[in-house]
Amino acid sequence: MDKVAMIAKAEQLVAKIDDLPTIPVVATQVLQLLDQPDVRIEQVADLMLSDQVMAARVLKMVNSPVYKPGQEITSLKRALVYLGLKHIREVALTTSFIDAFDENAGAFEISTFWEHSFGVGMVSKIIAGKIGYHDQEQAYIAGIIHDLGEVFLSNFLRDEFQAVLDSIKDKPVKLVDAEAEQLGTSHCEIGLCMARKWNFPEVYCEVIAYHHTPSEATIDPVLCAIVNLSDLFCSVRELNYGGREWVSFNLFEEQAWQILKKESPSLAELDVERFCYELDDAIPDVKELVRSIFNSKE
Amino acid sequence: MSISDKDFEQLRDFIYNICGMYFHSTKKYFLESRLTRRMDATGTNSYQDYYQLLKSLRGGEELKFLMDEITTNETYFFRNVPQLNALETKLLPEIVESKTKMGFRKLRIWSAGSSSGEEAYTLSMILLEKRAGLLKDWIIEIIGTDINETVISQAKEGIYNAYSVRNIPDLYKRKYIREDGGKFILSPDVKKFVTFNKLNLYDDSKMIFMKSFDFIFCANVLIYFDTASKSKVVQHFYNNLQPYGYFFVGQSESLHGVNDKFKTVHFPGGFTYKK
Repeated sequence: MDKVAMIAKAEQLVAKIDDLPTIPVVATQVLQLLDQPDVRIEQVADLMLSDQVMAARVLKMVNSPVYKPGQEITSLKRALVYLGLKHIREVALTTSFIDAFDENAGAFEISTFWEHSFGVGMVSKIIAGKIGYHDQEQAYIAGIIHDLGEVFLSNFLRDEFQAVLDSIKDKPVKLVDAEAEQLGTSHCEIGLCMARKWNFPEVYCEVIAYHHTPSEATIDPVLCAIVNLSDLFCSVRELNYGGREWVSFNLFEEQAWQILKKESPSLAELDVERFCYELDDAIPDVKELVRSIFNSKE
Repeated sequence: MSISDKDFEQLRDFIYNICGMYFHSTKKYFLESRLTRRMDATGTNSYQDYYQLLKSLRGGEELKFLMDEITTNETYFFRNVPQLNALETKLLPEIVESKTKMGFRKLRIWSAGSSSGEEAYTLSMILLEKRAGLLKDWIIEIIGTDINETVISQAKEGIYNAYSVRNIPDLYKRKYIREDGGKFILSPDVKKFVTFNKLNLYDDSKMIFMKSFDFIFCANVLIYFDTASKSKVVQHFYNNLQPYGYFFVGQSESLHGVNDKFKTVHFPGGFTYKK
């Protein structure tokens, strides 16, 4: 299907929603502050502390098994130093993204969405490490936000989206293809429109738009391939939105696998079987992380 | 004695590297209790001592005892549900389509290491349900082989206990199983597609005659073989498959490093090897 037409359709759908979640005021201010030259971490920490939910979530994320600091980090300022200025923007975006979508009003359980998202984030970071990608945290964040468009579909196009889900139940059909066929657009284009509205950096916009077709990416196809592969692995293990989609793939035929092998030939030696089994072992950590992030609001 | 994470990981890696079976962390307590039995039997006092014994010259023999303990030799109907779902949802329709195009209407499946027949008969039940649609007028051949003649007689008899049949979905149970005084008797309809034969997977002269299978299942058998034998047997399986065929191993098993020709195909809850 024509990508331009799908984006136009997505823009139209996103524009129709009056109560589209916005990212919290503090997050916007943090982003503005980060754009200023000579910004100091203390300033950012002070600003973030004015939103206790955001501050608590940043700490939870930094201390998660995924980031693995040597010792538990208990002060926001130290958390920000640990992350580095470069990543504060991403964590601010992610935590506000969580804020925008923490209600259970959609076609799927929001917790299964977050488990999938953080799972893809974690696996993306691991794959990034294995292939020597220059920025593992960027891979982590890209993994977390890749399915942004799914929440829109689930919350704002609930009935139509439910019909798409019902139509592919227990069938070996890709959700993204069924969306394109039945809705004229998919979570990739819708996510892209939302990410642009929220001023996400271009590299993340691209991951959202091309995480199912990494070879079409132009800014960072390797990052798109990392997220694509992580998404596939999570979808066949127990981080699969409660099994709403029946995913199957032949690793050797995946474009992401080809892109990453070209980037790092040693990847061909990966013990894929063991990788899957280790992923199973890490699932309780991911679920625990998601639970703790949500409970930090209370 | 509770096992430390370090000892657990060391043993898990050792078992994985030698046998190709991965122990998930959720199985830690299970492994702990089985190890305790083997430590009592061998008179070793710590997990470290036992690990050293496994690595020693007579470790190969001990490893077989340990694998017997941890695989418990149990088998039951509908054991590997993700695998069966993948077969029904995708792999079987795909193979039926390719064979139809070529004008073939025959399906051949091999349950290697079939034990008392539960896996072979499970597949038979699933295929029977497709007789009205997908597999209408198809010839179905399911072959079970095992090295042990006692289990082959049991398989041919087709009478099971409550434990073996506990996982059979009601739909199948009602249609294909009859209970008689605590025994569960398989319907002749299920039995008619399946034959059982004695076969030693090491026997090259016999293995080369097991030809043209669409699916081969071999669960919890290869874990007992050393790497060289494993490679040889898996190469036979590879040769015995149709060009588009699939090879399945048991849950938590891995063929990594055993054969580089097979491609992994992933599905929810598992993977299979495609020729």
